[in-house]
Amino acid sequence: MLNKNILAVLFFVLVSSLWAQNRFLKNSVITGNFQLDGQYYIPDTTIGADTIDNKVRANAFLNVNYSNGGFSAGFRYEFYQYPLIDFEKINYKGHGIPHYYAGYNHDYFEVVAGSFYEQFGNGLIYRSYENRNLGFDNATNGIKVVGKPYKGIRLVGIWGTQRNLFVKEGEIRGGDIDISFTEMIDKIKNSGFRFGVGGSFVSKFEKDNDLDYNLPQNVAAWATRMNFGYKDFNINAEFAQKFNDPGSLNNMIYKNGHALFITASYAMKGLGVYVTGLRTDNMDFRAKRNVVLNNNMINYVPTITREHTYALPSMFPYASQPLGQIGIQAQVNYQIPKKTKIGGKYGTDIMINYSRMHGIQQQWVEEAVESGDMAGTDGYTSRFFAFGDLYYQDLNIEISRKFTKSWKLALSYVYLIYNQEVIEGHAGEPNVNSHTVIADLTYKINNKHALRLELQHMYAKEHNGSWAYAQLEYTVAPHWFVSVLDRWNYGNPNPAKRVHYYMVSGSFVYKTTKVTLNFGKQYEGILCVGGVCRAVPASYGAGLSVVTSF
Amino acid sequence: MKQLLIIFLAACLGMSAMGQENLSKRVIPLPSVEVKTLDGSVFNTKDIKNDGKPVIICFFATWCKPCMAELKNISDEYEDWQEETGVKIYAVSIDDTRSSSRVAPLVKGQGWEYEFLLDENSDFKRAMNVGDIPHTFVLDGEGNIVWQHASYAPGVEQEYIEAVRQILSTK
Repeated sequence: MLNKNILAVLFFVLVSSLWAQNRFLKNSVITGNFQLDGQYYIPDTTIGADTIDNKVRANAFLNVNYSNGGFSAGFRYEFYQYPLIDFEKINYKGHGIPHYYAGYNHDYFEVVAGSFYEQFGNGLIYRSYENRNLGFDNATNGIKVVGKPYKGIRLVGIWGTQRNLFVKEGEIRGGDIDISFTEMIDKIKNSGFRFGVGGSFVSKFEKDNDLDYNLPQNVAAWATRMNFGYKDFNINAEFAQKFNDPGSLNNMIYKNGHALFITASYAMKGLGVYVTGLRTDNMDFRAKRNVVLNNNMINYVPTITREHTYALPSMFPYASQPLGQIGIQAQVNYQIPKKTKIGGKYGTDIMINYSRMHGIQQQWVEEAVESGDMAGTDGYTSRFFAFGDLYYQDLNIEISRKFTKSWKLALSYVYLIYNQEVIEGHAGEPNVNSHTVIADLTYKINNKHALRLELQHMYAKEHNGSWAYAQLEYTVAPHWFVSVLDRWNYGNPNPAKRVHYYMVSGSFVYKTTKVTLNFGKQYEGILCVGGVCRAVPASYGAGLSVVTSF
Repeated sequence: MKQLLIIFLAACLGMSAMGQENLSKRVIPLPSVEVKTLDGSVFNTKDIKNDGKPVIICFFATWCKPCMAELKNISDEYEDWQEETGVKIYAVSIDDTRSSSRVAPLVKGQGWEYEFLLDENSDFKRAMNVGDIPHTFVLDGEGNIVWQHASYAPGVEQEYIEAVRQILSTK
């Protein structure tokens, strides 16, 4: 398999280089990007960084894309043979060319053969995507056909197998239709109204080899969505259903799954308001029945909580619970106008954001109560608006203001309630109640030099107690970054664990190339991007990262 | 450890020697990818245009701090830039459906007047070979990528407008 891949690549390079010399084909363009993240590990028992035999590890990949007019082809070589320890923990280990494709793009249609990423609607029943920093890649490998027969209409069909780590398994097929009446009918377009609908269908196949249960080999899911807007107002809604799909994650129940995702927003210059609601029930949809972690996921159930970027509040991120969750998020953005008494010369920005997530309530069906086990039954019933346990709550306020050409300050307050038991699976642990205050000060010394100071404090009684954080960053545009930070767990109930997690880093940037070197301690935590999270083990040592594109 | 350091220093040295970031001689046309506008309509990236004048494309996400700082700092000068050069900025959000519907209220709440696009499944990001964000591109009047820069530090935006001026002066 690998040899074939290498041959294909060599052929590809040969053909493209021959073509590049041909003046009739001067439209040939080769682009790509490369990334390497390496780490040298030093053991440190106080933070839980274990002794590792193979101390030097690295993740690396190279994307190469060729295009010529509507035609494109490319591949990604991945080198994770000796991966960073967090990747090894999720078994993201191997090397080769797991991703390759060729396609043609035309005004009315598009075809892709090979590996591709695609999303139907919000992704509630199908989303193939990648996040290289998380070690997540569930690209579909097969055929994708897109048709655009008339303005405002887009049809997509997919069929293929799924990438899971370094293997391809499962069988997925599906289709999607998207109709925008705004695009189609000029009368609507000119009226200020916007209206669109969409629908999708996905089915997976997995052979039933189970001796105890009669399992469905083909499992289908469908979703329907609409989008309505008038001037500054917009509303989106999508409803999805999945048919019976017993698996190890839902305790082998035959119940159908549902998801509802609604968003409404209003935005004008200086003011934005946003409300969203999500309810999911038994909506974990995977290409294989008996899997764990983030493997073999077909769909994507977004979380609707804010993704924090400051270090301390992002220690407690919410992870979407497709098996059962109900909640809302609301946000207001307002700018006190520029050149007013309160707003100041440059205006003052205020953001208030709130979210709250609960579990759903479950009443076991009679059959399950009788046998004392849900497995093999329809499981439970659940009233739509019945809220279960609190999983997460987040109230955060951020005020930022530029005082002069040189000084800028942002102040934040974050109040989080975090259910460790559900989100991390740590049974018996209490909810974490944390209060964080943050000051982020930027001083622009001149056109090229700037200093940024970030101070954070988190108060918490549970988990590891309170934290303090300070970071100083010095930048010289466009080439240099230097940063020193310390994250101190001074409130840890165990005095031996009141550790300073310091980190010193420096980067050099030239155009699209960034080289970073760092040294320090990494706190054991959870890394989330979008709705997918994974545990990051504690580590200590030096890291080198190179990112470039061409 | 030592080896890492040597590689790093060598890399820095090599790149410092390259000096001034000039316009690229290699012409890369803008790929054609479907993304969405803030109101949910489909938009093809080959339609990123500015009546024959240069365009700046900034990749960002609502959860990316330096990206937000970049857009904020440019917004203070955007009016002047437009008056001087007629440049137009497209800000492309790679927020997925978790936060893509937050983009419109957030950016309008800030009063930013860029053209905004939503790249919910990172298709445009991939086609443009963007690794980490922020990542900024400058396009000439024909829609070819002639300059790009990864990451953001306060003051880098001066390089963007400098690249735009170079395009206009070599016309």
